Amino acid sequence: MDALRKQRLTAAGIDLNSALERFMGNEALLERFLKRFLQDENSARLNQALTAGDMETALAAAHTLKGVCGNLSMSALYDLFSRQVAAFRAGDAALAMGLMAEIQPALEKTRRAIEEM
Amino acid sequence: MSAYKIPEPVAGRMLIVDDDAINRAILENIFARFYGIEEAENGRVGLDKLLQNPDEYCAVLLDVVMPVMDGMEVLECLQALSLPERIPVFLITAEANDDTMRAAYRMGVMDVISKPVVPYVVERRVNSVVELFRARRRLGNVVLRQQSELLQQAQTIINLNYGMIEALSTAIEFRSEESGDHVRRIHDITKHLLAYTSMGEGMDAQTIEHIALASIMHDVGKIAIPDSILNKPGKLTPEEFEIMKSHTLQGAMLLEKIPQLRENEAYAYAYDIARHHHERWDGRGYPDGLRGEEISVWARVVSLADVYDALISKRVYKNALPREEALAMIRRGDCGAFDPRMLECFFSVEKELYALYDR
Repeated sequence: MDALRKQRLTAAGIDLNSALERFMGNEALLERFLKRFLQDENSARLNQALTAGDMETALAAAHTLKGVCGNLSMSALYDLFSRQVAAFRAGDAALAMGLMAEIQPALEKTRRAIEEM
Repeated sequence: MSAYKIPEPVAGRMLIVDDDAINRAILENIFARFYGIEEAENGRVGLDKLLQNPDEYCAVLLDVVMPVMDGMEVLECLQALSLPERIPVFLITAEANDDTMRAAYRMGVMDVISKPVVPYVVERRVNSVVELFRARRRLGNVVLRQQSELLQQAQTIINLNYGMIEALSTAIEFRSEESGDHVRRIHDITKHLLAYTSMGEGMDAQTIEHIALASIMHDVGKIAIPDSILNKPGKLTPEEFEIMKSHTLQGAMLLEKIPQLRENEAYAYAYDIARHHHERWDGRGYPDGLRGEEISVWARVVSLADVYDALISKRVYKNALPREEALAMIRRGDCGAFDPRMLECFFSVEKELYALYDR
């Protein structure tokens, strides 16, 4: 991974050093999972469930996304999904939905950075 | 500097149970250097793999929130089978709250590690515990092996002791030109009378074994009797008979002089039997002229066994007597008076005693 790509990913909120450490310096493995993040269906599932008012499915999707973002060291997104999961668990659907306003642009930004990688 | 020991590779398999492919990949990436890796995408699949070959696994990494069957349900099943005692289970969870941790530890997990994992930390924590389990198993095996070796050695010593005692007694019997069967039969008759009649009342099996072993040595004193007397075909002169009678005291003295024997649990019986197996109920026996209850039960039993065997076997000075005649002689007191209660016991099992002689 060259310096320019690293810079872009870092700018998109991905703590690359921490992510690489988690993958024991295995860049290829990290790249594979970053690319797979683009195909992840959980954000779509989260949106659909919220629209349908299916809070259980929404929680499951948010929980999965929290885990994925944590593992890929997407610090900002991890933080947002952690708050959302906590809100769902506390039964605060309004807060959970309100967080989507911050989650959506952060997701877009991260996706773009990975696509340009 | 540190007690951390990197495990040798390819020593058992690790099972990673997590529904998230990234988590499985991260953990596999950490541990593939140390273990063969098996993966399962939910608790049900993981449990099935584990139960198929539990002894192939040296560690289980278990996620909590999973579809189909979650980590806590898996733990419950494992605990019911006591598997966490043999295979260390690690809970890898993003929700490491107090209740979850407490429940997990109660069900036998070795460690709770939070997600996202830090490889360096998770590697050390897991490998240390795996090594601990291995060391414990190695140590357990060593202790088990040593225990069975010790038991075997003790048995060997017992067998050797027994063998020496039997060899000595048989050698003495051979000297008096009797077959070695005599000591074997005294042993069996004594044991039978104690084990199957009220003569052995209050004695445990161990005590009866000791007395039976001691009975083998009743005639060791004959080693001090000259061949000319011991093997004289005819009747002994009064002087010769006095010498012959001394085999009781000689035997007791001989046994007393073997320090190793004095530590044997059969010793006290052996001494008493050697000295007193020619005493008689009416006090007319030798060497001490004991009477009635003064004579120990074991000395009484051996004295009768000795007479019975002498009568119905061929000896250098006589032929074998017919069984009925031998029994009549014992009943009449031709060979001295015996404890009447013992005679009752003896006649009640004599048929079985006679069966010991295959002829």
